[in-house]
Amino acid sequence: MSKKILICDDDEGILDMLEFVLEEEGFNIIPEKNSLNVYNVIKEQKPDLLLLDLWMPVLSGDQVLKALRDNPFTAKLPVIVISASTEGSHIAKASGATDYISKPFDMDQLVSKIQTLIA
Amino acid sequence: MTQALDASISGIIITDHQQPDNPIIYCNSAFERMTGYKRKEIIGHNCRFLQKDDRNQKEREILRQAVIEGETCVVEIRNYQKNGTLFWNELYMSPIMNAEGKVCYFVGVQNDITRRKNVEYELKQHQEQMERRIEERTKSLKENEDYLASIVETVRESLVVLNPDFKVLSVNDHFIKTFKVSREETENKLLYNLGNGQWDIPALKELLENILPTNNPVEEFEVEHDFPHIGKKLMLLNAHRIELEGKFKDRILIAIEDITERREIERRKDDFLSIASHELKTPLTTIKGYVQVMDRLLPANASEKFKNVLHKTGVYITRLNNLISELLDVSRIQTGNIELHKEPFDFDKMVIESIENIQSATKTHKIILSGSTGVTYIGDESHIVQVLNNLLSNAIKYSPEEHEVNVYLSRVSDFLKVSVTDNGMGISHEDQKKVFERFFRVGEIQQRFPGMGIGLYICAEIIKNHGGTIWVESEKNHGSNFSFTLPITQPK
Repeated sequence: MSKKILICDDDEGILDMLEFVLEEEGFNIIPEKNSLNVYNVIKEQKPDLLLLDLWMPVLSGDQVLKALRDNPFTAKLPVIVISASTEGSHIAKASGATDYISKPFDMDQLVSKIQTLIA
Repeated sequence: MTQALDASISGIIITDHQQPDNPIIYCNSAFERMTGYKRKEIIGHNCRFLQKDDRNQKEREILRQAVIEGETCVVEIRNYQKNGTLFWNELYMSPIMNAEGKVCYFVGVQNDITRRKNVEYELKQHQEQMERRIEERTKSLKENEDYLASIVETVRESLVVLNPDFKVLSVNDHFIKTFKVSREETENKLLYNLGNGQWDIPALKELLENILPTNNPVEEFEVEHDFPHIGKKLMLLNAHRIELEGKFKDRILIAIEDITERREIERRKDDFLSIASHELKTPLTTIKGYVQVMDRLLPANASEKFKNVLHKTGVYITRLNNLISELLDVSRIQTGNIELHKEPFDFDKMVIESIENIQSATKTHKIILSGSTGVTYIGDESHIVQVLNNLLSNAIKYSPEEHEVNVYLSRVSDFLKVSVTDNGMGISHEDQKKVFERFFRVGEIQQRFPGMGIGLYICAEIIKNHGGTIWVESEKNHGSNFSFTLPITQPK
């Protein structure tokens, strides 16, 4: 049974690309453009890992992450924050991310980070 | 009687008014001495012979009038000795009348007042000269003062002059306008009591108190305060001891600049740049991802040409990404808004990971690490990584014919030291001084390796912000060694 990864990013280009690459790697991908839906999708589909962008309209990635960490049901979910912001790594750390990778990232590096967390 | 008259130091003559032309009938010896004429040359002459050719003195009219009226008069008149020497004669002339009241004789008493006259003249000259000078000086002072005043009143900076007790002696118009206050509520008041105590800051107080004794100026002191009348503002303050002609006066000049707006513009510019860079990086992420996918999907029998094109695309994506990051960094460094997030991290591990990262993208060079620091360093890891990446990629870039880059880690006293050495083209001594400057590019390098010339500038700023130093040792055509040190225990 392949591992399920939820990707939340408001940029469709990145969503498409990540879906394409990570499916090649044998993961089952759930793309999500709207950060407001993240919690419901997690509840319904129970992904093994969340790839989360930071800068998103309405509800930002760090807000999503804090809410997840405050909820016992999602508190332990591995979350890798992906961001193009220079302050990204600090925000990710402060919000309780499991790991962080900055955009634009090296695909091999991302895959290896994912594998370390959910191999 | 004659003997008594001869003993006098004043020259005395008597003229006979009853004879025509009022001739001199008596002169004493002092008169002879005074005029240089002998008695025989004097008796029988009218007094005017003493005037020689200097006949147009207004005093003569006074004398003539006195003779006609038979009155007493005193004049100061220019006379000439026999040898032509001028002397000033103070002449006292009075008539002698007979019993019927008719004027018979005149007595003239003369004193040589040349010396007095000369002194008077010199004094007058001197006085005039002084007056002229004072007038000129006053004029130039006034001009200077007007000149200074016009500067003081024109500058768009608030100026305050304090006495040693921090009482306000004067402020310029701009101060009055900026703070919307009156001179009455400002001048002669203690600086710390102005407004609602906006300047009553212990740190500022300490700095100001040091100005007069030590001549250490206060520079770029920022005061953010909710001021009366004008609200929340950010003021930049500079203070100096006032010095005149090398001597210090016990006055302090404070210049205050309202930088509220400037800071706000800087902040907006930073925001704009960080949004711009974020927005540029997002599509770049997608491109980079797809290029990497292409690389993986590359069939085993793909042509070298195709592989080469793909590789170059990857290289230029990296360069574009670096440019975007650098642009943002430079803007922040320039406005002094580089944010440091200091946290403890394993320094050696950070170096190993950075090397691995660069090594994974480099096929031409082998990066060899030796030594270790064993230090858990407190600093901004992402910034230090940036410095290391920059030094490593420079070492690779500028040694295209070589295949090795050496990194050496060590701990020196209470510093950790990192050295990155290549065997490449090196840097001339002249250029070594400038490589850490912003937008500096070594001339001939620009052709082969285009760039913005800000990488090392950013490195230097980051190391400086961590209290360390960065330098280069190099010999043209014999490689370069870039090193930096960081204090392990950082001052708070």
